[in-house]
Amino acid sequence: MPRIKSQLPEVEEKIPNPYLPLPAKIILMKRETHDCFLIRLDIKTKYEPGQFFQVSLPLIGEAPISVASYSPDYLDLNIREVGNVTNALAKLKKGDTLYIRGPYGKGYPMEKFFGKDLILVGGGSGVAPLKGIISYVEKHKQNFGNVSLFFGFRTPDDILFKDDIKQWSKAYQMHLTVDSNPKKVKLACDVCFITNVVEKAKLDNDNTVVFVCGPPVMMNITIGYLKAKGFKEDQIYISTERLMQCALGICGHCMIHGKYTCLDGPVFRFDEISKYKE
Amino acid sequence: MLKINKLSLPDFLTDIMRYNELVAPIKTDESRFEVVKDVTKIQLDLHTYFPAKKFFFKKHQTLYEYKNNKLSVPEIQPDKKQRVMVGLKRCDLNSIKRQDIMFTKDTKDPYYIEERERTILIGYQCKAPVDEYCFCSSMDLGDYYDLMLYEKDDAYLVEIGSEKGRNFVDRYRKYFWDTDAFLRPEDRRVETNLQLNKKDISQYYDHPLWKKLVDQCFSCAACVTLCPSCYCFDIYDECDAKLCNSETKRNWASCQLQCFTKVAGGHIFRQTRDARFKHRIYHQLQYFKERHGINLCTGCGRCIRGCPTRINFVNALNEMQ
Repeated sequence: MPRIKSQLPEVEEKIPNPYLPLPAKIILMKRETHDCFLIRLDIKTKYEPGQFFQVSLPLIGEAPISVASYSPDYLDLNIREVGNVTNALAKLKKGDTLYIRGPYGKGYPMEKFFGKDLILVGGGSGVAPLKGIISYVEKHKQNFGNVSLFFGFRTPDDILFKDDIKQWSKAYQMHLTVDSNPKKVKLACDVCFITNVVEKAKLDNDNTVVFVCGPPVMMNITIGYLKAKGFKEDQIYISTERLMQCALGICGHCMIHGKYTCLDGPVFRFDEISKYKE
Repeated sequence: MLKINKLSLPDFLTDIMRYNELVAPIKTDESRFEVVKDVTKIQLDLHTYFPAKKFFFKKHQTLYEYKNNKLSVPEIQPDKKQRVMVGLKRCDLNSIKRQDIMFTKDTKDPYYIEERERTILIGYQCKAPVDEYCFCSSMDLGDYYDLMLYEKDDAYLVEIGSEKGRNFVDRYRKYFWDTDAFLRPEDRRVETNLQLNKKDISQYYDHPLWKKLVDQCFSCAACVTLCPSCYCFDIYDECDAKLCNSETKRNWASCQLQCFTKVAGGHIFRQTRDARFKHRIYHQLQYFKERHGINLCTGCGRCIRGCPTRINFVNALNEMQ
């Protein structure tokens, strides 16, 4: 029978299934804190800092996880045990297989920031996507000016990437805080909110971009302080969290007013979504 | 122009049924589109309570299976018959256009496309609004069909809308007659009493009148289930009793429920009923338009008709100053 022409766009005979994930092997499994761990996957896909992958385990489900690395040879995912899928992922070992599809979304448009100073403000597991930026900066060091890091965690036990932080402290201006110190351990960092440090810090808003990622409250307060220091909304990039199920811009869960977090985000320039209250 | 005589319509439909799956509006407990078993039950002019979207965007769709430690897509049955849908109203046809945009334009959804490709859409032009909830004449609906039937005297005038429709007419040529009759512009539209007067609702997001509507809402999600355009869905894994094999499925979802925006850890982004209620209206009348140039809403009125408290957002929007 000849192919009947319809109103639908012409499609190839075999449509690649956008929902079907591919298996990926775990080459490194590292416990970061009591509830956070890092999975390194043997994947050669090209991705950008700020993008995310849909990670799934059959029988359990799928979850969106943002990338925490920048490398052509592997993919790092920093995961917090907070839901069904992430709790199950925590039980995997090196050599196990999980399923993955992606990368999805718009990452940080790093090439736009060549020649600028960078300020990274991260709270808790929000530091993970920013780690991708740092990896990128390390590979393109000559293209960026000063890099300042402001990372805050709940308690000393929650501090992520401890080894990396030691390295970063040498290379960049590093500000590290913990919200509280319940075990009264000896600390090399301040006990306060990271937002307080941002408030007090002398920041030059000229030729600078700021990346903020963390819990919604922390992002709101940080942005308030930044604005008070004269930063404009188009100098601030935030990474948003939403429930994502298809990651293809259909299922609707991640919509922030008219924008799909999975297509237009998860990284937004703040002026794009600042008028929305959600 | 072509026509089908009213008297020969039952024969035509019976003939279609012989080799195709015929779907038509049928009055059962409620009115809905069903696979026809008895031609006499078909009511072409019936404006169904339930939409026709379940035939393309299914309530439950298995996306892939996990069996014996392997992921696979369920085999597509090769012997599926061609499907002929008759009695689709202009609002139904335009809703199919909206869903085509979502499932076939940027992302090619193989499950939707498979069902859509094997279907021929035969429309039926309403002669009058069904009830006071129809507001299609204010929604700028276009032509989107393979064939369209216009009732006129003792016949249905037939308009061909696509190559697919033309081939279909050629196959059943004996039922179609040439005629000198022609369609006037007023034959193509029906004037509804309810009209949405606002073209741009963006400035009314914080209007105090919303509260009156939200206070009547139970968040029961009937509006979304009955909407022929709404396309949001959930994806979840369903495993067997032995916890060995699983199916990853997608189900219809509703933005009116809190769980729709609940992330791991428990945070709900659209916590208030107010935010969820407005999200649906704004998605229908603004967000979709910003992306695709047309409203998602087609003015079929099903969401008002099926609402337990008959929340008439059209009147309310008209009142907003």
